[in-house]
Amino acid sequence: MRRLGAGLALLLAAFGAHAAMADRAQRVKTAGVDLVTYRTDVRDVVNIVGALPAGDAFAAGNAAVPTLTGMMLDRGTVALDKFAIAQQLEDVGAEISFSVGAQSVQIRARCLKKDLPLVIRLIAAQLRTPAFASAEFSKVRQQLIGALQQSLQNTESRAQQAFERAIFPVGHPNRPHSTEEMLAAAKTASLEDVKKFHAKFYGPAHLTLVLVGDLDPAQAQQEIGAAFGGWSGGQDYLHAATTAVSTGPNEVTVHLADKPSVTVMLGQPSGLRYRDPDSLALRVGTSVLGQGFTGRLMKTVRDKQGLTYHVAAGMGGDSLVDGSWDISASFAPALLDKGLASSREVLNDWWTGGVTEAELQERKQGEIGSFLVGLSTTGGLAGFILTSLQRGYDVDWLDRYPEAVRALTRDQVNDAIKKHVNPGTMTLVEAGSVPATAAAPAK
Amino acid sequence: MKLLLTAVCAVLIAVVAESEARGAPAAVPGFSYVKSLEGIDEYRLDANGLSVLLVPDHSAPVVTFQVTYRVGSRNEVTGTTGATHILEHMMFKGSENFNDPKGNSIKQYLERVGGHYNANTSFDRTTYFATVGRDNLEGYVAIEADRMRRLWLRETDRQAEMTVVRNEFERRANNPDQVLTEEVSSAAYVALPYHHPIIGWRSDIEHVPIAKLREFYDTFYWPNNATVTVVGDIDPAAALGLIKKYYGSYPHSPQPIPDIYTEEPAQSGPRRVTIKRPGEIGSVIIAHKVSDGRAADQPALEMLDAILSSGKSARLYHALVDQGIALNADSGTDRRHDLSLHLMSASLAPGVSHEQVETALSDEMEKIRQHGVTPAEIERVKQQYIAADAYRRDGTAGVAAEINEWIAVGDWTLYVTFPESVAKVTPADVQRVAKQYFKDDESTIGWFVPVAPQTEKGS
Repeated sequence: MRRLGAGLALLLAAFGAHAAMADRAQRVKTAGVDLVTYRTDVRDVVNIVGALPAGDAFAAGNAAVPTLTGMMLDRGTVALDKFAIAQQLEDVGAEISFSVGAQSVQIRARCLKKDLPLVIRLIAAQLRTPAFASAEFSKVRQQLIGALQQSLQNTESRAQQAFERAIFPVGHPNRPHSTEEMLAAAKTASLEDVKKFHAKFYGPAHLTLVLVGDLDPAQAQQEIGAAFGGWSGGQDYLHAATTAVSTGPNEVTVHLADKPSVTVMLGQPSGLRYRDPDSLALRVGTSVLGQGFTGRLMKTVRDKQGLTYHVAAGMGGDSLVDGSWDISASFAPALLDKGLASSREVLNDWWTGGVTEAELQERKQGEIGSFLVGLSTTGGLAGFILTSLQRGYDVDWLDRYPEAVRALTRDQVNDAIKKHVNPGTMTLVEAGSVPATAAAPAK
Repeated sequence: MKLLLTAVCAVLIAVVAESEARGAPAAVPGFSYVKSLEGIDEYRLDANGLSVLLVPDHSAPVVTFQVTYRVGSRNEVTGTTGATHILEHMMFKGSENFNDPKGNSIKQYLERVGGHYNANTSFDRTTYFATVGRDNLEGYVAIEADRMRRLWLRETDRQAEMTVVRNEFERRANNPDQVLTEEVSSAAYVALPYHHPIIGWRSDIEHVPIAKLREFYDTFYWPNNATVTVVGDIDPAAALGLIKKYYGSYPHSPQPIPDIYTEEPAQSGPRRVTIKRPGEIGSVIIAHKVSDGRAADQPALEMLDAILSSGKSARLYHALVDQGIALNADSGTDRRHDLSLHLMSASLAPGVSHEQVETALSDEMEKIRQHGVTPAEIERVKQQYIAADAYRRDGTAGVAAEINEWIAVGDWTLYVTFPESVAKVTPADVQRVAKQYFKDDESTIGWFVPVAPQTEKGS
């Protein structure tokens, strides 16, 4: 044990010692954009991630409009059609993509160092001045309908969606639209709706960009200033009016024919945002239950009993609002009852007895070590910084996070488990070819 | 011959120059230095023939340690299909000196130090790897070395793990496109063991006896059938010292590693596969067997695939996705040690028939066969390849994973020389490989046809 502790200390020191990581980052407000640049020792590569509050939760009327708006971003700008943009990027091997989540449009890009000005200019043009051509809108709508139809057969996405709809009330930013609602909305959405949505929600006011890699921070700031200068607008993220609370126990079955593996989710609203006082303690406690091969669920339900390939526990959706706590797993239909019973037994033991001191110490070490290894790529570092900013931290969270984990006590963790998790009121979702004896009516 | 000698001399000079620029290779007793190429030094452990590749990279204080065994599903036969993959799972069940009861198993150690770790099996290799802080390297090497020859292989563990692997099989089978890809591959190869899916047939997964797994382990898990790759913040001499300390006591395999002598017979007509299952969106795959992964044609095939499917400038995007025929379309080569498999695929847009999509995919390949590609297209995809190569080097795990795949096809130096070969591809090369490999009579075509659930019942 002593040797491991020494190893961790060396790793921390090698990454630049306390506060050194944040010292390498520069955070400035440039042309209204919250911009972080971080220079690393990687050669030639720059990774960009960003987020803008214009996700599905912002839909006022037609549920498909935020997604359709995001999909139109790479279909041409007022100055360049989509093929001209693609050619500029692909001629140098650069990549830009946009995706729409619950609260934000996520921006991802990577390029060689020499092409950073080009990529910044194109991201800005795509966000600011999409062409919104009628012909492109028809194509985008057809592609969305096809993708939604395809997702109807995916047990994992169906289970996730049913779970979130069961635990988050109407009006909560984490409550997704059903696929059926999205399909109906996609068929009736208009280009005018999309233009209006863009005008209302797209702007620099709450746009965050993080650039990591082989870059010159001053030059990057200048490029961002030039590309985004003169743009205005944008709205803040949504904050839930009320915290979701368990209304269970509750069971939902999503019947899908001819699926050899059933996807299961068992959980509840966590009632916590990431920055809430008990949140980190519950996260680490949950990790003891269900993260990795040494998590109690994997050790028992998979390793000893062989009932599943995948079982895990975790927390999510809590960067901006209160989120969820869940166990996810897959079982063959014939082993579903047995797998669920075993998972519940492990859950109850954990909830009743809490985590041991030895488990907590090992988890804390592992979490800090894994965090540091994860920062060794530009993508890992950029992703952590962006998520931290969305959670309301500054870049110094890079250095404070290991300290916060290290400071957790067993009492804090076990109190958080008892206070915020309740196995007796959880929602169970099963998606797949659920045997008749195991099925509960869909709600 | 003179030309060849000149080329060999040029390579040797380049190797020596590179080596001198970076300093001489580490001299550690017990290791033979083999060669260096672009920052990668190859050594061989004299005691047992273990190959070692060292790639120092000090950009972050982490190290990826990877062991590639040159055994995959190509080494399996009927009755043992999936055995390589089950053995990969069994490698996490404990070994003589590192196991759960002792509290020092691979899972316990790596999760305690926060290592990012996993293992995977392909047609041609089985790979175990972890990325750890540099000071935690020795602990991992010790465990990895122990399980090379001192693995527990117990029937009780097999029984529990069999159902785990079966659920992995079931999870894959949830996805009709995954099933279609495996059935197309199975139809494309009739003699080579690539006929079998890597994960194996369900009945073999359920019934393979522990004795067969032991036989597999004792045949293939030897140092002379493995390559250790270490990428990251290392001192080469110290890294070699660790490898010698933990692997040096093993002998060569008592028997030569078995060779595969089966050859795939020529295909003399198109083959078709159709699967019908509940679903919403149909799909089409057109497969052709192409050259082995080391062959000189592979760079031209790589460029052909990029011209067809890389980005919105690509031909398949223009012809299928932008025309509203397909939701997505792809072209790629699954490089293998023996005959590789080339796949063109597309998901049907709503209301479009399989025939339309199949014809559209075939037409795009036929245009290249007939009319070739433009110099501008070649230049564009070369630039994409240069950038992608830089992206792959962002992080030690990415570098190790890329080297791993070249070890699998039989020559790690392709990690360095393949991009150089890509840079020399001409439009004529692309048209030549299109003409050579993509003949209708040598195709295997697969359709996933969605059916309504009620129709499926009772069928």
